[in-house]
Amino acid sequence: MRWLRRRKQREAREFERELQFHIEELRQRNLAAGMSAKEARRQAILEFGGPEQMTEQLREVHQIPILETVTANLKFGLRLLRRAPAFSMAIVLTLTLGIGANSAVFSAIDAVLLRALPFPHADELVVVRQYNYKEKSPWSFVAPVRLEDWNKSNSTFQAITGYYVENESETSLPVPEKLTHALVAPRFLQVWGVAPAIGRDFLPAEELLGGPDAALISDRLWHKRFNADPNIVGKSLHFGSAIPGHRPAAYTIVGVMSPSFFFPDRDVDLWSPVPTNAPYAQSRESTWYQCIGRLKPGVTVKKALADLSRVQSDLGRQFPKTDANLAVSLSPAKQVMVGESSRSLWILFGAVTLLLLIACTNIAALLLARMSDREQEISVRFSLGASRRAVIGQLLTETFVLALVGSIAGLTLASGAAKLFRTFTPNLPRVQEIALDWRIVGYSLFCALFVTFLCGLLPALRGTRLAGSLAKASRTQVSGRYPAQWVLVGIQIALAVTLLIGAGLLQRSLQELARVTPGFDASRVLTLQISESYGETADMKALTQRSKHILETLRGIPGVEAAANVSTLPGIPGQQQTELRILEGERDPNRKILADSRFVSPGYFDVMKIPILAGDACRDSTSPTVLVNRSFNNAYFGQSPATGHHLSLTPNSQFTMTGEIRGIAADSREQGLNTEPIPTVYWCSSVAFPGTYYMMRTKADPMTLADSVRRTIHEIEPSRSVFDVQPLEQRLTDSFAEDRLRTMLLSLFALTAVSLACLGIYGTLSYFVAIRRREIGLRLALGSLRRQIALRFLTQGLSVCAIGCVCGLLLALTSVRLLSGMLYGISRFDPLTFIAVVALVLVVAAGSTLIPATRAARTDPMHVLREE
Amino acid sequence: MKDKSEVLQGTLDMLILKVVALGPIHGYGIAQRMRQISKEVLQVQQGSLYPALHRLEKRGWLESSWQESESGRPAKFYKLSAEGRKQLAQEQLSWERVAGAIALILRTAE
Repeated sequence: MRWLRRRKQREAREFERELQFHIEELRQRNLAAGMSAKEARRQAILEFGGPEQMTEQLREVHQIPILETVTANLKFGLRLLRRAPAFSMAIVLTLTLGIGANSAVFSAIDAVLLRALPFPHADELVVVRQYNYKEKSPWSFVAPVRLEDWNKSNSTFQAITGYYVENESETSLPVPEKLTHALVAPRFLQVWGVAPAIGRDFLPAEELLGGPDAALISDRLWHKRFNADPNIVGKSLHFGSAIPGHRPAAYTIVGVMSPSFFFPDRDVDLWSPVPTNAPYAQSRESTWYQCIGRLKPGVTVKKALADLSRVQSDLGRQFPKTDANLAVSLSPAKQVMVGESSRSLWILFGAVTLLLLIACTNIAALLLARMSDREQEISVRFSLGASRRAVIGQLLTETFVLALVGSIAGLTLASGAAKLFRTFTPNLPRVQEIALDWRIVGYSLFCALFVTFLCGLLPALRGTRLAGSLAKASRTQVSGRYPAQWVLVGIQIALAVTLLIGAGLLQRSLQELARVTPGFDASRVLTLQISESYGETADMKALTQRSKHILETLRGIPGVEAAANVSTLPGIPGQQQTELRILEGERDPNRKILADSRFVSPGYFDVMKIPILAGDACRDSTSPTVLVNRSFNNAYFGQSPATGHHLSLTPNSQFTMTGEIRGIAADSREQGLNTEPIPTVYWCSSVAFPGTYYMMRTKADPMTLADSVRRTIHEIEPSRSVFDVQPLEQRLTDSFAEDRLRTMLLSLFALTAVSLACLGIYGTLSYFVAIRRREIGLRLALGSLRRQIALRFLTQGLSVCAIGCVCGLLLALTSVRLLSGMLYGISRFDPLTFIAVVALVLVVAAGSTLIPATRAARTDPMHVLREE
Repeated sequence: MKDKSEVLQGTLDMLILKVVALGPIHGYGIAQRMRQISKEVLQVQQGSLYPALHRLEKRGWLESSWQESESGRPAKFYKLSAEGRKQLAQEQLSWERVAGAIALILRTAE
């Protein structure tokens, strides 16, 4: 806007200079004629007229009368909408779907991928990890003392903090209820850059051992448990049992976080500080925290990594025993949080964009057809002296009116998207941030503009060209060949085929997945968690005792056939492989022994019905025992049995664990239904750490036992809560929820695309039949067979479809690459899918050409000829 | 975009183009020259001269630049563009045709 004002000022100055020159010349002339100076000036101004008035006139010349044109065109567009309501409704409806779906997916992309995390200067947030570079193992949790060292000695971070989460039970209620408790290192809120909505941050004294026990609670807990009490600060929250020296039994609430603060995850109910000076927090070997830091303004991740790596290698020299092999890695927090969902979202976005393109070509064809009806009107405009540009402008404005109505209706459609995503993809990161706001409104307006040009320009250009030549030739005869319309139909078919192939591949992949035999039996298995805290691991003996007691009790419940506990649920992806060492025999330094290590209690193989091929199943014993699966045996021992050998876990770290291989289990898809079994080692142990799952094989539908299990656990462990109770089958289904939703949506879009394309063929062919009625009538009168006429139109329609299919196939061949990694059990070029899609499209297309073709054949020649 | 006084303007536009066709010239010069050529018959109102000049420039028929005038002061000089030259030829042609037709009508009506 400012440049416009500046331009105007410059213009005004120039006008004045030009006019002043004229007046000055007149004055000079008058002076030369002998007038007095005053008189010469007066006469000059008199002769010239007021320069101010003229400046105003000049300004009018330079003004662009755009506003008046636009309003006039808009009015005309609205009038047209009323005049051809069915036609307009068809276009508006198509656009509502097209723009609505597009805006809906865009609102998700915007919230999840494009927008910064909802924290001030969120680009400064980075996830800080440590890993053992000797082992190339995945990252591990950070010891509190090392976190403090990092925070003290670096020069690129404002602050680094850490956290871990455990489940507690609130005991002030009749039945203990689960509380998700985030234990945080100092500077937690400082790193996020947020303050509590009510109350205050932790005080330094509260971060020391023996200081007051303070907690911040979540907005949700505040509402659920305290009825949004405004005087919440100072009240206390009671927990299960106090662990001497570790954890208090009650916390004083010092504040409530805002409803939008979901960190570390959505379930967190309260945050409390971990005392940095506690004796149990001093070991450099403890693995506690996940870390996050805030960079100083302007510092790049690369620079920060160099800095923190220097800090860590100094620590390595200082504490060679614990820190020498550790390295750090940094990744932007947003990247870590958004994770894998970005590809799915972009594919969906691609699909809805294709859909919108199809809708546009469809509308372009409609408009083209309509343009020939309006040739008369347009040529009259030309004859009355309208320029081609003005007519095109007017035609485009008409399209824009339709697109605008469509995009507004589409927006109301998109406003439901947030709810849809929250219902169907609850695990999508940042899903709670999806909302309709001005960015989405702006985006759909942009869509309207884009649509206007995409589908309005070609008809407007062609319409004005034809009508322009008509105006000159004053002929009302129209020729019947409009290849442009057929090109548009071909494009629609091609895009629809592409989408359908994508959807078909995903469908086939899900089908293949359903056919998989996982190697375990997930039916009638109930899974649940029981609250526990890391503090309890200090007394391993008591912990082991308690875990065994819980398992015994579960086995005693009527209807339970077997019970076990496991560190990681079978068939749920996410478990990493770790390095192992075989103690016997010569060690080949170039050959790494990698396997998925799982901790399972005796009874696991009974619950999951995984056959034991050789040796024993897990048994409780004093020395650690392990089982390996067949893949492990084959990969590292070949034909000879592995039993009797010894394995050690994480050989290069302080926490080495060694166990004897006592048996060999059959292969099963522990890592996920879509993953072939990999070498797996089962460590037999009943000890339940926080996060351990209990599982039971039941005689009947597992959920019928949920209540009695809950009751029984409450009887023996009154201060613990049972939560996350679900049948294993449900979890396996949920682990593919995103795949299923992606497939469903893509199929929906593809089917819509095909229907649109068919409508396109139908409409275009009907139009040709209509304008060629006279010709058809003549041909029939001259002895053509009706069959020939029908066949002519049929071949015309079908050959366009065939060409469209070929183009679609080529397009699909180049774009299925996008789906790589999302397909299971079939190739990207799965011939069955490709053939089925083409056959389907051709059949449907033939169906939609048949109606206009037969209608053409039924033309009554006498009727048509009499019409003329 | 339409202007009510199109016919009159058309005539003025043609006259301006014709004058400018003789060589680069400023607004004051055009006014003087028009008066001389039409032997003082046509008094061009400065009020319509400048808007016409700017309109023609905007249409791309005239080009302008600031130069030093005969009197030494800087003035905005106008010059015919290639397109303007074409336009002038066309207008002259149609003008002559219309004028000829009118003359013919007047003569036969006598």
